[in-house]
Amino acid sequence: MKKQILKAGVAGLLLTGILSHAGWAQSDPTGKRRVTETFAITNATIFASPGQQATKGSVLFRDGVILGIGANLSLPKEAQVIPGDSLFIYPGFIDGAGMAGVTKPKDPERPKDFVSSAPPDEIAGITPWRSVSDQFSLSASQVEDLRKAGFTMAQVLPDGGMIPGKASIMVLGSSGAVNVLVENSALAANFRGSRGMYPATAVGVMAKFRDVYQNTTLALNHSKLYASNGGVSRPEVTPTQAAMAAVVQKQIPVIFTAASDLEIRRAISLQKELGFKLILTGLEYYEPVIDLIKSSGTPVLVKLEIPDDKAIKANKAENATEATKAQYERVKEAYDKALKQAAQLEKAGIPFAFSTMDTKPSDALKAVQSMVKNGLSEKAALAALTTNPAQILGISRVAGTIEKGKMANLVISNDSIFKESAQIKHVVADGYVFDYEVKKKAAKENGKSENGAVKIEGVWEYTAETPAGSNGGEITFTKEGADYSGTITLDDPSGSGKINTPIRNVSLDGKTVTFEFDVNAGGNTLVVSISGEISGNSMEGTMSVAQFGSFPVKATLVTPSQTH
Amino acid sequence: MKKLNFILAALLGMGLNYSQAQTPKGNLLIKNATVLTVTKGNLENTDVLVQDGLIKQVGKNLSAPSGVETVDASGKYLMPGIIDAHSHVALDVVNEASAPIVAEVRMKDMVNPYEIGLYRALAGGVTISHAMHGSANVVGGQNATLKHRWGSDDPADIIMQDAPRTIKFALGENPTRVHGRGNNIQPRTRMGVEAILRNGFNEALQYKKGWETYNAAKGQKGNTLAPPVFNDRLQTLADILDGKIIIHCHSYRADEIYMLINVAKDFGITKLVFQHTNEGFKVAPEIAEYTMGASVFADWWAYKMEVYYSTAFNAAILQRNGVITSINSDSAELIRHLYHEAAKTQRYGGLSDDEALAMITINPAKQLGIADKVGSIEVGKQADLVIFEGHPLSSYAVPQMTFVDGVKYFDIKSDSDDQRQLVSATEMVEPVYLHAEEDHQCLQGVEEYFHAFMGTFMQDHTH
Repeated sequence: MKKQILKAGVAGLLLTGILSHAGWAQSDPTGKRRVTETFAITNATIFASPGQQATKGSVLFRDGVILGIGANLSLPKEAQVIPGDSLFIYPGFIDGAGMAGVTKPKDPERPKDFVSSAPPDEIAGITPWRSVSDQFSLSASQVEDLRKAGFTMAQVLPDGGMIPGKASIMVLGSSGAVNVLVENSALAANFRGSRGMYPATAVGVMAKFRDVYQNTTLALNHSKLYASNGGVSRPEVTPTQAAMAAVVQKQIPVIFTAASDLEIRRAISLQKELGFKLILTGLEYYEPVIDLIKSSGTPVLVKLEIPDDKAIKANKAENATEATKAQYERVKEAYDKALKQAAQLEKAGIPFAFSTMDTKPSDALKAVQSMVKNGLSEKAALAALTTNPAQILGISRVAGTIEKGKMANLVISNDSIFKESAQIKHVVADGYVFDYEVKKKAAKENGKSENGAVKIEGVWEYTAETPAGSNGGEITFTKEGADYSGTITLDDPSGSGKINTPIRNVSLDGKTVTFEFDVNAGGNTLVVSISGEISGNSMEGTMSVAQFGSFPVKATLVTPSQTH
Repeated sequence: MKKLNFILAALLGMGLNYSQAQTPKGNLLIKNATVLTVTKGNLENTDVLVQDGLIKQVGKNLSAPSGVETVDASGKYLMPGIIDAHSHVALDVVNEASAPIVAEVRMKDMVNPYEIGLYRALAGGVTISHAMHGSANVVGGQNATLKHRWGSDDPADIIMQDAPRTIKFALGENPTRVHGRGNNIQPRTRMGVEAILRNGFNEALQYKKGWETYNAAKGQKGNTLAPPVFNDRLQTLADILDGKIIIHCHSYRADEIYMLINVAKDFGITKLVFQHTNEGFKVAPEIAEYTMGASVFADWWAYKMEVYYSTAFNAAILQRNGVITSINSDSAELIRHLYHEAAKTQRYGGLSDDEALAMITINPAKQLGIADKVGSIEVGKQADLVIFEGHPLSSYAVPQMTFVDGVKYFDIKSDSDDQRQLVSATEMVEPVYLHAEEDHQCLQGVEEYFHAFMGTFMQDHTH
């Protein structure tokens, strides 16, 4: 009984908090209300839109709307001024398709009469009625990572099976606000089969997609007939068909995840057969289908990631046979070609945008810079981050450029974003200002600090705070010549107990140690990267996993290695 | 409503063939070969002229029109491109194992033109393969007939667009294991397999009738009839009943072979080919009378219970009983030397050269419904040709050049170590998947599916 009262009390308190905030009460018990909603960034270098010459001036915004830009703005008294001298302002980046902040809904209980050859839609991953708005949390760490990388808006895709549900366009502003800009912006689809039931494979998924689409068309016809004629049997429109109607009526596009050229062809062939509006996302290998993308007029979202270079790095030409060397050469050639794909899209005149799905947002700028290094123009690169996604998502009226009347979405960096040294200092999303620490790049000292060499060899005990709870184990670093290797123990994701797995790409730069390792979870290999600052015998840093975000990690050196 | 009908009509049976681009067609004069026409005897010192991808002339002392390349084949043998009636090469997915009937899935959706197996097949003189769905289901998916136009990145280019539709059926242990034992649904026995087939076809008849009734009514004034549910699975079975699709049925035992003949007779189905057919020799006259033949292994059996009773004389016995008989690979390895496999019918059964060669050329062409286009060296046919050093049925035979539509896709002289078309940017060597030898590639992907089932099974128990 006592407990219940307590619970009610807590709920009441929470409610009061929300009400007072929304109701503009005099006091603000949360302490979150801002002193002012008006901001000005002054005397900065402004890149208002892709291809436009930079201008020196100020940007003034209030309540999430840009009031003006220019050199001679008169700033109102209430404006909080952020001195922008030496800073560069770009329009806020827009993620064409991402899954940051999305939690997959629980699979429903299987019915007693479940038959795997004809499962209910909901269990087979066909849930077009679901909205990602119900799965999304703006306060998730992945969203923070995305924002930190300069993204101020994102089309967020739901998680699930072959037709997981509908996407929403979100503003990545304050977690206290309602952040949905467009609800049900597209229907998400992919070629993933359902485990252990129909459709289990891509070929089954294609057949099932046709089936769902055709029967939605027929159900709509049936409903029309029912509405106009008497004596017609009652239409039984399923939840799937009701939710697919907007697609069949071409009100919203299908956003198909298609990584390779063959998958792209499959999605476009379905589109040609059935006639829906199509957007392709998650493109990784698409060089052979650039003409097809162009001729079909399909908008595309390229995966914002540099291809994994572990194959290139592993190539050690010494002692290799001629045949192996020739093989290395081909892999290298394929790698170089992969980096040039974005530039080829530009050359073909395709206004592409990016998708952050399954990528690490902290590497986003690096990926863009690599594309520019490989022939993509800076103008096209910026367009792919701003105006192109705005166009593809149909939100150009309010987003994509820095213009009076548009949303106050800005990226403010300490240098041109196309320079390797660029760091993002502030991000303005929906008029909310987020500040980030700009690190002074220390001159490379190779493991030296003011107290002499930083040593990492030995066994470290670590703990990591993840949404699944606290987690920990041991990291062992071993020095081999100038390089480091080692192992890490962690909770086995597929069961109980600990597993011990090798770490790689260990690098010590100043006081910063970084390394990676692979975790096998549910048949997928996830790359986990850890970056930590060392001070004496302790380390503090973050552990990040693409798609899952980054989490704090701490470690202590328990048994330093005796030999060095 | 008319529009919908149009959409449905356009849909049915269409795979990935919207982008039917013009595939390359060659011009070529092959001089002085020993031409093994297969259907019209052997011609010594004979020339074959190819124009625009077709065989234009077969004769002596032909001269090349200006600009047409000449290939000297003196002392060499020229035969029609080898046709493999049972393969799973160049498919990204082989088995949609999840239901006893999956007639709606289309292998044409899953064609992967980069697979190196295509080039290896060309190196073995194979120009056409029948890329089949696996044998996990009583009625599997619709197959794709491929022309090995190696080097294209568009799957549509390697699909033989003018080949008729075919579909995979499977009897016996595979479908009963996957569905009956694996999943506790029909079919658990051979009787169940027959029941699945008969029920399926009867449902297809009702489905067809439903649409016919609706189509007749919908134009009438004051129509109150609503459209039936669209079901591509039943529509495909109805197309089989209408003779639009050739059945290729995975089978071993004589009783089940005879069962399917009876089912086919009852439903008026005539386009039927048996695959594997290891006990075919026991029912050879029946197969000869009622079907389009049998496609068999040369000497491969005893890899599971239902295939214990067989013989290397199977092909010869079938052939001499008047069955259209072909030798197939069902394997990315065997496909490279089907000419050896054909030659085994001479060792076991004493077939003639023409009979043996027919088993990998005109006979599989007949079974795939493409014998009017390929399968022999005749004027007007598509110029799918192989030049051999040594007679193709000799143990010393080595294919030298392979042509599809008169275009050379394999030449032993320019065969380099690394012939891959697509190289991964992120992997030094593409992962190699080793399949259990048993049942070859027919059950590719099903193991994984089984594990998933087991997972489900265990979950249910812990509830």
